[in-house]
Amino acid sequence: MIRRTVCIAAAMLAAAGASQVAAQEDSITVVLSEELDIVDPCEASRSNVGRVVLQNIAETMTELVPGSGLQPRLAESWEDKGNGTWRFNLRSGVSFHDGTALDAADVAHSLERIKSEQISCEIGAKFFGGIDLTTNVVDDTTIEITADPAQPILPLLMSTVTVVPSETAMDSFVETPVGTGPYTFDEYARGQHIKLSLNPDYWGEEPAVRNATYVFRSDSAVRAAMVAAGEADIAPNIALQDASDASMDFSYPNSESVYMRPDTTMAPLDDIRVRQALNYAVDREAFVGTILADGTLLSTALVPPSTIGYNHDLEPYPFDLEKARALLEEARADGVPVDTEITLIGRTNNWGNVLETMEALLAMWQDAGFNMSLQMVEVAEWLEHYSNPFPEDRRPEIVAAQHDNANGDPVFSVFFKYASEGLQSAVRDPELDAMILDATTATGDEREAKWAELFKYIHTDKVYDVQLFHMVGFSRVNPRLDFTPTIRTNSELQLSQVSFN
Amino acid sequence: MKGFLGKRAIASAISLVGLIILVFFLSRLTGDPTDLYLPLDASQEARENFRNIHGLNDPLMVQFGRFVGDLARLDFGMSIRRAEPALDAVLRGFAWTLQLAAITMVLVTLLAIVIGSLAAFRVGGLFDRLATFFSLIGASAPDFWIAIVAIVLFSVNLGWVPTSGTGTPWHWILPIGVLFIRPFGLILQVVRGSMISTLSSAYIKTARAKGVKNRPIIFVHALRNAMLPVITVIGDQAAGLLNGAVVVESIFGFPGVGKLMIDSILQRDFAVVLAAIMVTALAIFVMNLLIDVLYAVLDPRIRY
Repeated sequence: MIRRTVCIAAAMLAAAGASQVAAQEDSITVVLSEELDIVDPCEASRSNVGRVVLQNIAETMTELVPGSGLQPRLAESWEDKGNGTWRFNLRSGVSFHDGTALDAADVAHSLERIKSEQISCEIGAKFFGGIDLTTNVVDDTTIEITADPAQPILPLLMSTVTVVPSETAMDSFVETPVGTGPYTFDEYARGQHIKLSLNPDYWGEEPAVRNATYVFRSDSAVRAAMVAAGEADIAPNIALQDASDASMDFSYPNSESVYMRPDTTMAPLDDIRVRQALNYAVDREAFVGTILADGTLLSTALVPPSTIGYNHDLEPYPFDLEKARALLEEARADGVPVDTEITLIGRTNNWGNVLETMEALLAMWQDAGFNMSLQMVEVAEWLEHYSNPFPEDRRPEIVAAQHDNANGDPVFSVFFKYASEGLQSAVRDPELDAMILDATTATGDEREAKWAELFKYIHTDKVYDVQLFHMVGFSRVNPRLDFTPTIRTNSELQLSQVSFN
Repeated sequence: MKGFLGKRAIASAISLVGLIILVFFLSRLTGDPTDLYLPLDASQEARENFRNIHGLNDPLMVQFGRFVGDLARLDFGMSIRRAEPALDAVLRGFAWTLQLAAITMVLVTLLAIVIGSLAAFRVGGLFDRLATFFSLIGASAPDFWIAIVAIVLFSVNLGWVPTSGTGTPWHWILPIGVLFIRPFGLILQVVRGSMISTLSSAYIKTARAKGVKNRPIIFVHALRNAMLPVITVIGDQAAGLLNGAVVVESIFGFPGVGKLMIDSILQRDFAVVLAAIMVTALAIFVMNLLIDVLYAVLDPRIRY
């Protein structure tokens, strides 16, 4: 009797072990850097929310694919109907995880919801601020969307809008997101994990990963250790100092660009020679492979090189201390108050080694003859310096900032950063305002050329800022997976793109 | 005793009200959560909407009146960062912290009393050396360093225990181990010092002269009298853990109230901050009452 009981118990244990192994073979664990406070698809533009929700649970009408440009997703095709109106034809036979069919009314509802004042969705605030959207449901699979002011890149903007069912509440965030994606949202044990599993009714190809668990660890060393110990399969974001194993660690352009924004409305920073001197005084190459990671690129614009209209003819300013000093002297001789103290404002934890970066910049500028001091502040105080309206009694400042644009078009950046009315602009130049408007409304090759011209104007003709670096991020990936991080890994992690070796 | 407890309850309630008023106004001085909640590119219009919806445009006294009114109904409001009531998030986190603190403090207390007593009995012996070693480690090695070294050694290299997280009893070993060291070193020293003083008192010498064996001398006659200062330190250390072992919770991905509180302060999620302070302050108040009661139990000369 005892022997039989032991045999049965052993068999059950073996079966449990076998099923666990089987479950693990097509399951992965992703370790994120912070717990998700909100899992609503309309917040999917936030990095860690996007890594769970975007294209896994909730899909978009279009999709920006690195190297391939804008691709269809829930919309099969689209056409410009003129006067700011675009017609989108939806894929048929697509259903949500709750079993209801996707139709044009769902798209209209999703657009209305991202602009809902009651929940202040990030996608609405970030990509559709100042844009009025109206929709016309032509039939179940056809919708016309009109943007005011007209948006020539509306199909690109639609790559940011996650589509949810019409039943989704307008006045509160959802706790269990529902979409059309290849995975369903199964469980959120707050503080512990999120679990997704394969959507058996998915319209597209069946992915290799059947189950995914997301866990949260704020310490980079722990995230790296989890992958090393085999407890996790992907750590999308680890620190430079933890990326120490070439067999598991990948660096990728993370779409973040670092630049210094002088207040060009105040002396002495309103003088172009002073701004040129700022640029010539920085030895950019000295940062790469020392304070910043190997692979960091020197920049000439605040959007990544893969963005349309990026002007590849522009060269970073060379390090020329003598020229910087001469330019300052020339400005001084013309009565520019170059000895006025300038405050360099940095933001704590803005990027890895931000303090070291700022101290090095300060030393270089002081070496060139600038009277400058450094102030490191936390994010809320930094925003008071970075965002309009600026205080009336301010002193000359240079604000350090890191900007993320992985969306393929400069329109997501340029107005906010350089237009006279831009929220984070310290430039007041009607000619530049006209150029921005011109490029924003242009299409095709003409659009590309106008953006390229605009970047030259900012970088070379007017020297409105000090462009520094296109940053790289680091991911650790378990060797059992076939997955290579890309520029999109900064904002999404499509499980359907992961397979097993 | 009842009168004493009543007085302590009233005094604690007054402190709590003062604390809440202070935290409410101080947290508002840190700025507007709109800046942190909305993306950098959000328009002024979106920011205004956000402020209106969350009542941030109202005068501070109006916001305070609303807060007090809600508090009277034990309603701390909704977290602006989480789609749930603030109190739910706090109670969930507090349950984790309470378990972590309770297990750690029980282990710390038992081991510190045993090893500290033995160290005091034979100064310079094995247990005394152990006491000195742990006191030194506890006082000099920072939690985060011990935690990372423990993960690399025991999880990555040896593969004995999971790096972090929750789920099985194995997950608790490293966080408890790291949390254990500091209070253990401190309490060990207090037990040792207090026991050395007690063991040299006249009644212990009398017991020895009468031929009482070492074990009852240490653990029956001396320990009870040596425990009063020890209990004070245990209470202090436990209060620290109840406030949240922030570093350990962050590193090991433990969803406790300490990490929640720090995240909420950084995100200016005022509702969660206030709820967390209320819950932890109440817990510390209850624990202090228990310690007072324990004093009276251990030393019959103490009467309230």
